[in-house]
Amino acid sequence: MSEVPATEPRDDGDWAIDVSRVTKRFRLRGASASLKTAAIDFLRGRPPRTFTALDDVSLRVRRGETVGIVGANGAGKSTLLSIIAGTIRATSGTARTRGSVSSLLELGAGFHPDLTGRENVMLYGAIMGIPRETMRRRFDEIVDFAGLAEFIDQPVRHYSSGMYVRLGFSVAVQVDPDILLVDEVLAVGDADFQRKCLEKMAEFRDRGKAMLLISHDINTVRRVADRVAYLAKGRLLAFGDPADVSSAYERETEAAAAASVAQREWGTGEARIVRAACVDPATGEERTGSLALRSPGRTEFRLRWGAARRVEWPVFGFSIADRATSRVVFGTNTQIAGRRIPALEGEGGLAFSVDLSRLHPGDYLVSFSLHSEDHKTNYHRLEHALRLKVENGLWFDGLVSLPVEWTI
Amino acid sequence: MDARADGPGRWLDLVRILTARNLKIRYKGSVLGFLWSLLTPALTILMYAVFARILKFNAGQPHYLQFLVSGIIVWGFTAGCLNDSLYSIAGNANLVKKVRFPRAILPLSTALANGVNFLLTFVPLALYLALTGTLEWGPGLLWLLPAFAFHLALCAGIACLVGTLNVFFRDTQHAVGIGQLAWFFLTPVFYFPRMQLEAAGFLGAWRGLVFLNPMTGVLALYRRALMGAAEQPLVPPEFAADVPARWVGASCAVCLAVLLLGLAALRRGDRTFGDAL
Repeated sequence: MSEVPATEPRDDGDWAIDVSRVTKRFRLRGASASLKTAAIDFLRGRPPRTFTALDDVSLRVRRGETVGIVGANGAGKSTLLSIIAGTIRATSGTARTRGSVSSLLELGAGFHPDLTGRENVMLYGAIMGIPRETMRRRFDEIVDFAGLAEFIDQPVRHYSSGMYVRLGFSVAVQVDPDILLVDEVLAVGDADFQRKCLEKMAEFRDRGKAMLLISHDINTVRRVADRVAYLAKGRLLAFGDPADVSSAYERETEAAAAASVAQREWGTGEARIVRAACVDPATGEERTGSLALRSPGRTEFRLRWGAARRVEWPVFGFSIADRATSRVVFGTNTQIAGRRIPALEGEGGLAFSVDLSRLHPGDYLVSFSLHSEDHKTNYHRLEHALRLKVENGLWFDGLVSLPVEWTI
Repeated sequence: MDARADGPGRWLDLVRILTARNLKIRYKGSVLGFLWSLLTPALTILMYAVFARILKFNAGQPHYLQFLVSGIIVWGFTAGCLNDSLYSIAGNANLVKKVRFPRAILPLSTALANGVNFLLTFVPLALYLALTGTLEWGPGLLWLLPAFAFHLALCAGIACLVGTLNVFFRDTQHAVGIGQLAWFFLTPVFYFPRMQLEAAGFLGAWRGLVFLNPMTGVLALYRRALMGAAEQPLVPPEFAADVPARWVGASCAVCLAVLLLGLAALRRGDRTFGDAL
């Protein structure tokens, strides 16, 4: 993997968060702890099984700095945030903070569903140690910012997840902490509120406050962070410039994602698709595996086939599926197109081109098949042979842009 | 601009808000709301009164019913606290995992909410005792103050202890259920203190050790306050030679000891609450 050197911050004394060689091991226990299992383990002298969530992590956040933490699920991001918030103790190492800490961990966590928005706001303020009078003065601003004026006296159990986050964010910000910890929440909420949050965070930073932001959405992090830390399996792999770290992170996650999509094949094998390629419109090269298509138009695919024995009246087909949902967007074959192929013998090639200009930007999987005309014999099926990443500026709902004309 | 208040005073708001929250949630969605705190004990007393009359059950003592219901109401505080404290910490996992604040506030507010509720249940009890002429008006009622203070300390200690244990061992809830029943029988709620001391006869001159059950002494204080020394002395006169009234002090000392033990357990447990929740 590519290493972006972890920068060792100088001890300039201007830090707000200082994490020094923090290691955290959790004890692993069964689904539910019970006296019996604890007693048995103790009597057998069995050392508790542990899981290392954080392994020798050091990082420092300066005042007025926003640091993003990226990493896959289970990389240790939330554990690190909890240790900084002081709700979990490090097994070794130290995590220090200067000034008051407000955290926004999980979706509006800390809210009691049976209490109204108002009661929850006051409760949160009290937990943060803010006097009642101060909270009363700031109350209207909190409600305004969250845009929940009509609902503030409703129990929060009736709130939507977006409303939850909005209230959570505005309280966490309005208690005016020196350090704000934000865990994976900005993904929720509409664009308008996200913009408000980003503005608030910028204002926050300008006032010399420190912010630590967790997300697996690299784009959010890149937009707001001054520096980015990349955690994987509890280790800090990189810490530094957002552009460098995020490209390292993207490479890793894409490689992992590609590996996770199983390329499968099956069939009788009398005739086989030996190679499936897409012609990269940018370079004109044949590409297999995965490739990115920038604003693709008519795109050419080339297949090579081989037949161990003569196969008559075969049908070639392909399908394009949305990777996120596995839903087939489009599929067709030579039979539907009325192109009959008398026979395959030996080796040969075949090509088709398809207009991809109407696809929604995203990831797609292309599968190929070779079967008999009566569909009774499946010679070869090549599932997920190509992975296409379509990038274009289209903006619409759904997967395919259908031509529309408005008459008003 | 740092708006934060300093010192322990800053947490008083939180204690108050959490206590209020616990009370609110108790009756959330019910039509009668907090009136249940008055209604439940009133109806409980009524039921005991009706069935004791029908069954002609009075344990051979003139004011047995008053003796019984005062015990039931007082015990109700302890029992309610035991049950609520199971989730005083585990039930607030979202807060505990999220923000750093003195953890003792959680069980403390559980005990306080139950305390407030108990004071409400006290109203119908006092009314009943007054109506039946067994309430002793006078300075003796001042005994209620130490009774409630030590009782509250005991309940807070239990809340810390049970709340902490239940984070780490989910068996606690089952143990509390059966332990509560055992404790109930070890406390002279429905039987007389004299019977408890008789049963402890094997202890000889040390039978005063029954007061190591903190509820024995606490209950004696409450009954002394409500029904007067003539009817409910702190220690039954026939045992006064062996067991001077200061044994009640042992109960009070145990109440404080339980509180300290609870706080110590909480402090120890706090190191790993974040991991366990």
